[in-house]
Amino acid sequence: MIDLLVTHYNYLAVVVLVGIGLYGITGSPNLVKKIIGLNVFQVGIFLFFVTSGYVEGAAPPLLGRSPGPYASPLPHVLILTAIVVGVSLTAVALALVVRIYEAYGTLDEDAIEEVRTRD
Amino acid sequence: MTSDTLVLAAVLTFSALSAAAAILLRDVLNAIVAFAAFSFGIAAAWVLLAAPDVALTEAAVGAGITTVFFLVTIAKTVRPGGDRLSERIEWRSVAVVAILVGLLLTTVGSLPAVGAADAPVATSPVTDYYLDNAYSETGVKNAVTAVLAAYRGFDTFGEATVVIAAGVAVLLVLRQEAYV
Repeated sequence: MIDLLVTHYNYLAVVVLVGIGLYGITGSPNLVKKIIGLNVFQVGIFLFFVTSGYVEGAAPPLLGRSPGPYASPLPHVLILTAIVVGVSLTAVALALVVRIYEAYGTLDEDAIEEVRTRD
Repeated sequence: MTSDTLVLAAVLTFSALSAAAAILLRDVLNAIVAFAAFSFGIAAAWVLLAAPDVALTEAAVGAGITTVFFLVTIAKTVRPGGDRLSERIEWRSVAVVAILVGLLLTTVGSLPAVGAADAPVATSPVTDYYLDNAYSETGVKNAVTAVLAAYRGFDTFGEATVVIAAGVAVLLVLRQEAYV
């Protein structure tokens, strides 16, 4: 178990971040906090990808700067794309949150539910 | 455990604690500040994992633009007040999270050690091809840029499409049709 903690530290951090993110999505009553949870969940998965391309003592993939070895560039590219897509998703979700607030006057999940069942 | 690994472990622990604070703090403004700290911690982790391009994007986009979006949102809506500092724990969610975390933990042991030179991604022919040929085929010394703009240019095109679609969606949702 201690061995695993030393050699797989990043992957344990992935599991922790995904767990915190899922708790934020499902457990927070506030809609903005749910979106923060979504972002934390995403970063957990980013960490999994970037860790998979890392080699102990590797240089960043800037060719010709060092004799190598280099970290694999492919996971970095995928995560660059994913970060930008994640921000787009956050922007749309927050716009929806603003509209929900205009319509219901609250961002509390339970209060919105209450208003919907009353109408 | 080398000193690099210790620094990385410390940075990741800091990030995880800030993430937990962002979720558990009741006041949304506090949560957003904790989330910005989390993003900066993760940006530092990307530098330590030899991914400077991802670190720059995370610091500018994750910690910068996302934080501004969150702040604009709470300026236009409400912050839950009250004198409690943290949220009540939702035990049903804790149960769901415990199931997921338990399942994921059983897989961690099967993954290659962090930074192992014989890990599947490090020894993959795709990685070798990009590292060997990126400069001669594209003339770009940064292999990440070469892959992003040349080899996987269609991915980047798709990404730009998503950004445009998101911009249009935000304007439509906020009823700013005059700009569309």
